[in-house]
Amino acid sequence: MRAGERATSADDTLVRAGRALRLVLLTALALLFLVPFYLLVRNGLASEQDITSPEWTFLPTEVRWSNVAELFRDGSVPFARSLLNSALIAVATTLGTVLLASLAGYGLARIPYRHADKVFHGVLGTLMVPAAVTFVPSFVLVSSLGWISTLRGLVVPTLFSAFACFVFRQYFLGFPRELEDAAAVDGLGYWRTYWLVVVPNARPVFAAVGAIVLIGAWNSFLWPLVIGQDRSAWTVQVALSSFTTSQVVRLHELFVAAAVSILPLLVLFLGFQRWIAAGVERSGID
Amino acid sequence: MTMKRRALLAAGAGAGLLTACGSDTGRGGGGGAGPALSHWYHQYGEAGAEQAVKRYAAAYREADVSVQWRPGNYDQQTAAALLTDAGPDVFEGGPTLDQIQGGQVVDLTGLLDGVKDDFDPAVLAPKTYDGRIWGVPQAVDTQLLYYRKSLLEDAGVQPPATLDELVDAARELTDGKVKGLFLGNDGGAGALGGTPLYAAGLELVTDGGEVGFDDPAAARTLGRLRRLYADGSLLLGAPTDWSDPSAFLQGLTAMQWSGLWALPRVQKELGDDFGVLPFPRDGASGRPAVPVGAYGAAVSARGAHKEAAKAYVKWLWVERTDYQQDFALSYGFHIPARRSLAEKADELRTGAAADAVRFTADHGHAQPLLWTPTVQTLYQDALSRIIKDGAHPERELRTVVRKVSSELDRAKRTS
Amino acid sequence: MTGAAGTVRRRTVWFWVFVGPFALGLALFTYVPLLWSLALSFFDARNTVTPTDFVGLDNYVHVLGDDAFTDSLWTFLVFTAFIVPATYVLSLALALMVNRVRWARAFFRSVFFLPVACSYVVAALIWKMSLFNGVRFGLANTVLGWFGADPVAWLSTTDPPWYWLVIVTLRLWLQAGFYMILFLAGLQRIDPVLYEAAAVDGARPGRQVLRHITLPQLRATSVAVVLLLVVNAFQAFDEFYNLLSDARGYPPYARPPLVYLYYTALGQGQNLGVGSAGAVVLALVVAVVTVGQARWFRLGAKEARA
Repeated sequence: MRAGERATSADDTLVRAGRALRLVLLTALALLFLVPFYLLVRNGLASEQDITSPEWTFLPTEVRWSNVAELFRDGSVPFARSLLNSALIAVATTLGTVLLASLAGYGLARIPYRHADKVFHGVLGTLMVPAAVTFVPSFVLVSSLGWISTLRGLVVPTLFSAFACFVFRQYFLGFPRELEDAAAVDGLGYWRTYWLVVVPNARPVFAAVGAIVLIGAWNSFLWPLVIGQDRSAWTVQVALSSFTTSQVVRLHELFVAAAVSILPLLVLFLGFQRWIAAGVERSGID
Repeated sequence: MTMKRRALLAAGAGAGLLTACGSDTGRGGGGGAGPALSHWYHQYGEAGAEQAVKRYAAAYREADVSVQWRPGNYDQQTAAALLTDAGPDVFEGGPTLDQIQGGQVVDLTGLLDGVKDDFDPAVLAPKTYDGRIWGVPQAVDTQLLYYRKSLLEDAGVQPPATLDELVDAARELTDGKVKGLFLGNDGGAGALGGTPLYAAGLELVTDGGEVGFDDPAAARTLGRLRRLYADGSLLLGAPTDWSDPSAFLQGLTAMQWSGLWALPRVQKELGDDFGVLPFPRDGASGRPAVPVGAYGAAVSARGAHKEAAKAYVKWLWVERTDYQQDFALSYGFHIPARRSLAEKADELRTGAAADAVRFTADHGHAQPLLWTPTVQTLYQDALSRIIKDGAHPERELRTVVRKVSSELDRAKRTS
Repeated sequence: MTGAAGTVRRRTVWFWVFVGPFALGLALFTYVPLLWSLALSFFDARNTVTPTDFVGLDNYVHVLGDDAFTDSLWTFLVFTAFIVPATYVLSLALALMVNRVRWARAFFRSVFFLPVACSYVVAALIWKMSLFNGVRFGLANTVLGWFGADPVAWLSTTDPPWYWLVIVTLRLWLQAGFYMILFLAGLQRIDPVLYEAAAVDGARPGRQVLRHITLPQLRATSVAVVLLLVVNAFQAFDEFYNLLSDARGYPPYARPPLVYLYYTALGQGQNLGVGSAGAVVLALVVAVVTVGQARWFRLGAKEARA
């Protein structure tokens, strides 16, 4: 299968040395990639003094698991609530985005329509628009709809992802036509073909797009900050930002909160990573 | 009782974010009848400040005031919110020149009838435009130079009274483990801003609205800041920035530029082993400089109940001197914006705090209203290049003066 | 005839059933604000989204005459020139190695992919406070100390510009894993027969195979990766802002356009006309860069085929 396997025995040692070298290199890189995670945990379990201590130590002088409990007990920051809010918003956003973008992607890829290309280019063009620039008009628009401080206002405007639509379209372009042809023979229309044949066979791409959208929704900051005006609507990123004020930075809380805030995504990813990986691999981005 | 009911509601709602969004509006107890007003504050770092302002709001009887405590980029949020009907009725802010010129805030001159002279003129000036007052100063923040007495004594260094002495002292105090001076991780351009110009006897903007530093002395003074950086006397890249006294307290630096808000913590950890100074004067016409600032309570012009909002601001920030005193002194450390209160405060009568109050009264200068974000960016860029890149101060300043001058002309034209 | 027309009409209806909701939302929540911004760029729009003072191209003249803004465009181009090849090479190398490693492949793939879940805010926090803080107890400076070197104020010195190291490594860490997955996908689609044929032809494993088989086969993936990298580079805001800003502003170096516009026009000071004009200029630059790289790749493809 590999070119190396047909090499002469003289090359065998070379190949084996190469393989060992690759493993060493990979391990070294993997360790480097883990360093930031280690720092996050180290600082999160340390005291304020330890984090800024003039003497570097690889472990905090005292490992304080109590930091985690204190984070949830802190009356000034509704951290548990913000985790729940973020989870709700992220799930709602992900489901909505995936549904809308996959339908659109399928329509663009498979349903013949004279102006389909124009529509597609219109979608693609928005990839170039930085959100920072349309922020104020968007905010005024949503406000004029009366959506400030509502779940609608937090979720609906973020559901229309050109990126997701693009990925779905590319994937469906490479989707085996035979399956759909068979469905047509059975007399299924576009709608039922989509739900009964296409979706069940395209789960990886749904997982992949879902993961990326979920990360984005979980990490978004400015929009939930200005739309969700009440403390009870804070998301986890807003809660995180509240540990930094113009006067003081509550360092150990900030670190432990940051560590806790990425934990749900890490767990989810470790659980689903095979699935997600397979999905992105087959998403046919090219 | 209302508190309890809301807590129950939140618990009962469980995952019902929608319900919660509508219900918990940060109301401090809902004491007042009358129109509903929303009052925005930026998030203060001091413990208890949030509870305090909610307590004040709850005590108001003429309106139902809800307090919003905003983390994150506060100025950006208020700027966006003021464009909509979902914005605050009352908010703390500059207010900025654009907000005043754009008619986004309401004239509050009448609120200060009879007590205007009691407010610190340095902080009232940037709230005044066209002779009208657009924000009621809440509490005065200032910045000072903290120094560690023992370290200076060990090195045989006197507390610096001139900028040259500061440069020398910082160099003397620097050794392998301790740096002489901390002006912020950016080398001082941000934290100092226009302060060195005031120390040279100049100002950012003159009373007539012209550039106030079109003078050779400006380049000389800013050039001395470059000296500090080039000597390697400055602490750079500390985990916390100048606004936090940690670097000073951990002995990373012998002197640090920081806020008055840091004073209680420094006092607690260092006892008597520290002192405060104004930014030292420079040159023949120089004078010590202390930057002061104050958020002002402003009323949005888009609010549905502007008169009620004005009445509330008058009640809280003019009449209720007990709350003003509590707000300034009980959470962190500020100087009351009104002189009669500052004089009465026991906390401000002794030690470093008394020094700070005296410096502020004698040498306080506030950033002028005309010093807009655009102009500030221009100036700060130049200052940073002078300090870090060794850019030629005169050449940098010439460009800045030209551009700032045209910006100021524009700002004046708009009025 | 009527049957064919009926089919066309039926398909059109179905097209809009599938695409309509998405297109409608995109029109309302993306195109309306977008066109609104575009309109603002021709007005004097300070602290208002409904300006009345039409100024023609004045805002464009203003931003193009602003050295700081043009500098920020250069910053973006330099940053792109750093980050695009760096991410490309790293993620491709990771993919090649992970693809061929026989042991603990899932582990390696996970480790490299996990940072994707991190936010720029959290990563910037780690980079600024722990990894690259400027005093002697930062991790990077501790390691330097082992070799007897002096501590470096990574984000505060401009000569040499160490801050680029901080910025680039952060983004590399955060995004390399995602592109690695894309490359892995591409690699697994390469027909094994091609490798066998190359071996028969006597191509040596390693560089020759990489150059003549693997890279040409990955061309399509590469185009997508580079496109996404460029688009992401120009959207850069979060890590710059969180690494280099303080309460009073932002240094005049390593300041990409969106950060500059934030400080002067789109943040506290709402000069929306000038801000929008700057954004339009930026979008045009990105369009040129994107089209340019697409052309370049296509030319490369022709040569490969020849």
